[in-house]
Amino acid sequence: MKLNDLVEMCGIRVITSLPLDTDISNAYIGDLLSDVMGNAPANSIWLTVQSHMNILAVASIVGARAIVLCNGLHFEESTVRKAEETGIVLLESDFTTFDIAVKLVKCGLGG
Amino acid sequence: MRKGNTLTERNVDDLLDKLRGLFADITARDIMIKSVVTLTKDRTMWQAKELMRICKISGVPITDGNSQLEGIVSIEDIIVALEGNHITDPIEKHMTRNLVTFSPEMNLETLIERFNRYRYGRFPVVDSDGKLVGIISKKDIIGAILDKFRLIYVHDNRRREILEQSVDWFDKSLISGDYVEKTSADFVYHIDYTDVDTAGVGSAKLKSYLKTLTDDDTLIRRVSIACYEAEVNVVIHSGSEGYIFAWYDEDVTRVRVEDYGRGIENVEQAMKEGFSTASDHVRELGFGAGMGLPNMRRYSDKMVVVSEAGKGVVLEMHFYRNGRK
Ligand SMILES: Nc1ncnc2c1ncn2[C@@H]1O[C@H](COP(=O)(O)OP(=O)(O)OP(=O)(O)O)[C@@H](O)[C@H]1O
Ligand SMILES: [Mg+2]
Repeated sequence: MKLNDLVEMCGIRVITSLPLDTDISNAYIGDLLSDVMGNAPANSIWLTVQSHMNILAVASIVGARAIVLCNGLHFEESTVRKAEETGIVLLESDFTTFDIAVKLVKCGLGG
Repeated sequence: MRKGNTLTERNVDDLLDKLRGLFADITARDIMIKSVVTLTKDRTMWQAKELMRICKISGVPITDGNSQLEGIVSIEDIIVALEGNHITDPIEKHMTRNLVTFSPEMNLETLIERFNRYRYGRFPVVDSDGKLVGIISKKDIIGAILDKFRLIYVHDNRRREILEQSVDWFDKSLISGDYVEKTSADFVYHIDYTDVDTAGVGSAKLKSYLKTLTDDDTLIRRVSIACYEAEVNVVIHSGSEGYIFAWYDEDVTRVRVEDYGRGIENVEQAMKEGFSTASDHVRELGFGAGMGLPNMRRYSDKMVVVSEAGKGVVLEMHFYRNGRK
């Protein structure tokens, strides 16, 4: 699925000014970095409540293409700048992680 | 090549003791194959023979409808049945009933001793209610030992030797024992421990570098995940700067991460899933699940950690081209 479509259909805010034409084939939910590191699949969208810059290294190593910060939290300025350099799409939502996951599934991701 | 390496009888005893310790916690339950192919005794010997041929197994446990173990049909039983011309008889008439079984709690030492004593190729594992829960062949035992050997803690004399001459420790490969030419490394990254923000950047760079050398995405992923965990540990735990060295070869990628800081007092404990001494501050950032070292073990094919309190950590990992997925 195109990230573009997911973002639109699920009403997720786009924070970075990066292209959204990436293919997303999976999702992972996690707030503990080494859990995500050990288990997140490549080409995925990652749902978390972590906003600190370290998520970017994790995402680029496991191959997560986009990060959704849930529960109405906001990314730090420095994280956004760095994400644009690294090419990781940052997204925000006021919904809970679970609600976003449900929306993604309804849009046809996974399952 | 290493000096002082001759094995005396005393050394051998010490070594055996250490190995015994390493394997002491392996039980039949960890080794056994859980999805056992079984038959009931009303089937024929012919059917048993066919099943063994199709599944490529050398024995079939016979159970009743409630998984209670009643006997076993082995290749020998089949041969006897063929010779005696009763291959079409029901299993009930010819199966071996007098069985030696394992309990799930038996440790590796006992298992090996039973294998030697009885010389059967496989043993059913039966719980305290007489229910068949698994089966173990010699191949499974070797598999379990090899698995454990993938992770060698250098806790023997060599480790002490290495620790006493700290120069050596930082100059020698923990896995091969050879001197490492760090200047010959294909990739070198200096880890700055003062900036948590940059934790992981070295491994992301290593990933980009490996991409220029190979198309093997699985390998690149395994190497960079394991390296990331080691790098982050230097930043959040060591209190010292460190280095990542990597050597790429078509067959094996070698990664060595070292720091000169706080060190790990008990490596075995640190290797356990969930063990972490991370501070609340770094936990808030998402570190401290205690999954870093377990991830390294999971994604590398060989891994050695040498450390001692106050003496830094040297970690070496090998990744084979066709290694684990
Ligand atoms: N380079 C190091 N220097 C000092 N101590 C270390 C080092 N690496 C690991 N340790 C010790 O080993 C423990 C376990 O490490 P591990 O990477 O498995 O978990 P963690 O770093 O605490 O959490 P996580 O990796 O899941 O974020 C650490 O909490 C720490 O006590
Ligand atoms: Mg760690």
